[in-house]
Amino acid sequence: MTFEVTTGVDLDDIQGNVVKAYGRYGLIVARYVFFQINGPVGGRKFVGNILPLVTRGMPWSDSKIIPRVATNIGFTYEGLRHLDIPEVTLHGFPEAFSMGMKARREIIGDTGPSLYDYWDPIWNTPNDNKQHVHIMVTIDGKEEKDLEDRYQEIQRILADNPEVKQLTGHRGPSGGMYQPAAAILPTKDKLGFPGGKEHFGYSDGITTTFFEGCGEEENLVIGGGKPTGKDPRTAAGWAPLAAGEFLLGHPDEACEYPEAPGPSLFSLNGTFIAYRKLHQNVGSFNAYLDAQGAKFPDGKEALAAKFAGRWRNGAPLVSFPNEEGANKFIAEFAALQQKMWADSASSQEKERFAELSLQLLAFDYSNDTNGSRCPFGSHIRRTNPRSALEFGKTKAFDVPGALSNRRRILRRGLPYGQVDDPTSDNGEHGVIMLIVNADLSRQFEFVQQQWMNYGNDFGLANDPDPLLGNHENKEGRCDGGRMTIEGDAGTNKPPYFCDRIPTLVETRGGDYFFVPSLTCLRMIALGIIDPT
Amino acid sequence: MSNIAGKAYAMNAVTPMRWYTAWWNRLFFGIANLRPSTTAGLATLSLIHYARWVIIMPGQFPNLGKGQPRENVKYAYMIFFSNFNGSWNQYVDSFSSAIPRGLDLFWFGSIKYPKSVPVLPFHRYITSNQIWTDYYYNAYPMATSNDVKSAKRIKDALLPFIADSQRESPEEFLQKYNRLLINLQHDISQMGPNPVVSLSASAVERNLGKEREWREKN
Amino acid sequence: MANKSGNAYALTVLCPIRGGVQSHTAPLQQQLQTLQVNEQSPMAKVPNTYLCRFWVLSDVPYQGKPGFLDHLKSDYLVFSSNFYGELDPYLEGMWKALETGIRVILSHCVDGDSVSDAESFIEYIKRCKVATTFFFNGSTDEPLAQQLKNLYLKQEFSKFAFENQGKSASDLQAAFRAFVLRTQPDNLDGPTWAAGAYHLDKVVK
Repeated sequence: MTFEVTTGVDLDDIQGNVVKAYGRYGLIVARYVFFQINGPVGGRKFVGNILPLVTRGMPWSDSKIIPRVATNIGFTYEGLRHLDIPEVTLHGFPEAFSMGMKARREIIGDTGPSLYDYWDPIWNTPNDNKQHVHIMVTIDGKEEKDLEDRYQEIQRILADNPEVKQLTGHRGPSGGMYQPAAAILPTKDKLGFPGGKEHFGYSDGITTTFFEGCGEEENLVIGGGKPTGKDPRTAAGWAPLAAGEFLLGHPDEACEYPEAPGPSLFSLNGTFIAYRKLHQNVGSFNAYLDAQGAKFPDGKEALAAKFAGRWRNGAPLVSFPNEEGANKFIAEFAALQQKMWADSASSQEKERFAELSLQLLAFDYSNDTNGSRCPFGSHIRRTNPRSALEFGKTKAFDVPGALSNRRRILRRGLPYGQVDDPTSDNGEHGVIMLIVNADLSRQFEFVQQQWMNYGNDFGLANDPDPLLGNHENKEGRCDGGRMTIEGDAGTNKPPYFCDRIPTLVETRGGDYFFVPSLTCLRMIALGIIDPT
Repeated sequence: MSNIAGKAYAMNAVTPMRWYTAWWNRLFFGIANLRPSTTAGLATLSLIHYARWVIIMPGQFPNLGKGQPRENVKYAYMIFFSNFNGSWNQYVDSFSSAIPRGLDLFWFGSIKYPKSVPVLPFHRYITSNQIWTDYYYNAYPMATSNDVKSAKRIKDALLPFIADSQRESPEEFLQKYNRLLINLQHDISQMGPNPVVSLSASAVERNLGKEREWREKN
Repeated sequence: MANKSGNAYALTVLCPIRGGVQSHTAPLQQQLQTLQVNEQSPMAKVPNTYLCRFWVLSDVPYQGKPGFLDHLKSDYLVFSSNFYGELDPYLEGMWKALETGIRVILSHCVDGDSVSDAESFIEYIKRCKVATTFFFNGSTDEPLAQQLKNLYLKQEFSKFAFENQGKSASDLQAAFRAFVLRTQPDNLDGPTWAAGAYHLDKVVK
């Protein structure tokens, strides 16, 4: 089966985790393993040995070719330095990457309870000034057994290689050897959306960020691309984002190649991933939701929806402003989804299912410029404002998404752990978040700093994101976080104020990784990177 | 030496232009003064407190005699001063994406101006012509331009509300109060200090703080 | 010329700095860079100053060929201020508040010793003033005292709205009356935000 390259993006050269959310293909468990390089020869040998296992970005358009396991690899700045990558190339990396995520903590708000003091031990050493985590290998699989098989393959590679060491120190059930993760599904073996949950009970993994040449099904540009200003319920309302927002060596939204280290073959088709282990304070979340939900006029589920911008069942608030409508929609969706999985849907039902799937994604905020449906400060409206930052003044900007098109990211990763006691914050449970972007400071760090931990771009002064904001008691916040939930002038419903929101998500580890193309990996393995 | 005062960032950029192009620019700016639509994009961006463009023709550098030599420059010079929220590094993309044509009109004729899209050359051009502020004062460092405008909305609504509500029953008051809240719902957020604008800036702040401490002790 | 936008004034001044064997620019710059900041700033004493800055223009930037290489023969102290109201009263207010500091700064400037009082100061500034070609006001143009009071009210009313949610009508009304008594919305002298203050525990005066 051949694949026609119709864009400038060579998916065969790009690592699979960049262009695919593996969970959608049934690879619903994962392990994240980290290594240290103690000698460049051994380091290169390790890369050469992993190379044949690395999964590429070619689309899996036929379910028969979906592998049972996928593997990908990334390097921190120190990791690249330990592989003897030339100085000139190293200097071409932007400072966010070369400093590493821990050193960027004041910008991204990893302070207070998210300070590295509380991180998993693997991320801290006595000599804390230099990154000591060098390589990240991610293994995604259908079942534990698939993970274990691949993991053992890697152990065999290691056994032969005294210069590369597997780092330990992950909290959790792996004996510290790796970070496990697994989708939370209502049924064990089928992942459809919005079937996957996270530990606060929200459906996750609903949107796909869609860029030129990503290889995804065309329809997913709706809601996933950038807004054109036309009807968002149709394909005309959306266009693919420029590939260069997510891949080095390709034109980006500013009509140029993103900054990248040379030689060009080194960076082309590579990208950056921020790996973050995010602990979730489930007890605090549930307690807050119960207490405030009892007072909030529309009830607890509506409050949860206002925080996120989607109902916990996945229905977007802006299209389904009340609970009954949202439940009805998802009930119909879920019933049809079962039929699709069982291959028993009539053609009419298939059409209906496609329609409903679209409704999960095909919206913007132009019919909600007052925020009475989806609050300005809700999570999805902050992380992906679509055209909302025009504040209703269409044509004020060059394009409707002018202020958000360059702040998009690809989200990968899975939840980890399980909640044994929903009244407690303790325990190993949260989300492993992998954030893909071509420019860490313009995309991930900007969104984290300006849109998660601050509110000025939304006219919300210092208000942080209710779910992901760092609500630690410091100047500007008394007793936790705050959020105004807009009322409605039409029905005389006053706004509702939530205060004392505890910090619900805490960072427990992570770093910034360069994810090279397959070509670059080959060159690294051979030690032939030469920027002369 | 700092371009930062709380939530405001002081950008100073000096660019040369041919004197005859400068005439065109001044004409354009004159028209812009009269047409608010020219600045609609800037206003919607809402990041700016105050910004100004000053064009100094070759013979117009102030000369106070007393032995001060007369300037003999070939070009006219445009000085751009802006007070906006966020740092230039963080927000150059927002300006360039939102109002590229406006920016191009403002800098039309500046020697070797590369246009505002793509953004990397534009960023480099402005940064290489940027002069750092020696001293920056902001009367309300905890307030962005949005906050200042929002505060005016609050005052404008609150004063008549107070006047109107002097002699009402509690129930009438509650109804009016709820309507006031709906009216002001996007203004009811609290202000505080700025998120860290850059690590070098906060390092300088820390150093100054340590120096002050040391001086106080010794 | 566009020095004003509503009641907001954009003042741009280039004061030529004295030349000579001993540099005047270096001590001047040092003085500026070590001025107190925030609420301790000398500019906080100058009424109606929204935002202002000082920097030194030592030379004009060269763009590289085919651009020509220009040079300035003097350094200039650039002072740019955004303030409320008319120029003369503003400068008078500045002289009254900062006479000593101004004299020190002007001692480094050409003909600075011609300034001996408010009148000669205003005249000096007008000689050094350059016209603003275009002034964009993205903010308001109320007097500074009003702007600071507005910010104080925004902060206090935001707190009030959160703290009094869910109260009964009569409790709410009583609380609001107390709020009005405490915050005195009509009174620009106080309580209000202090000019230049950058800490939540120091901002209210």
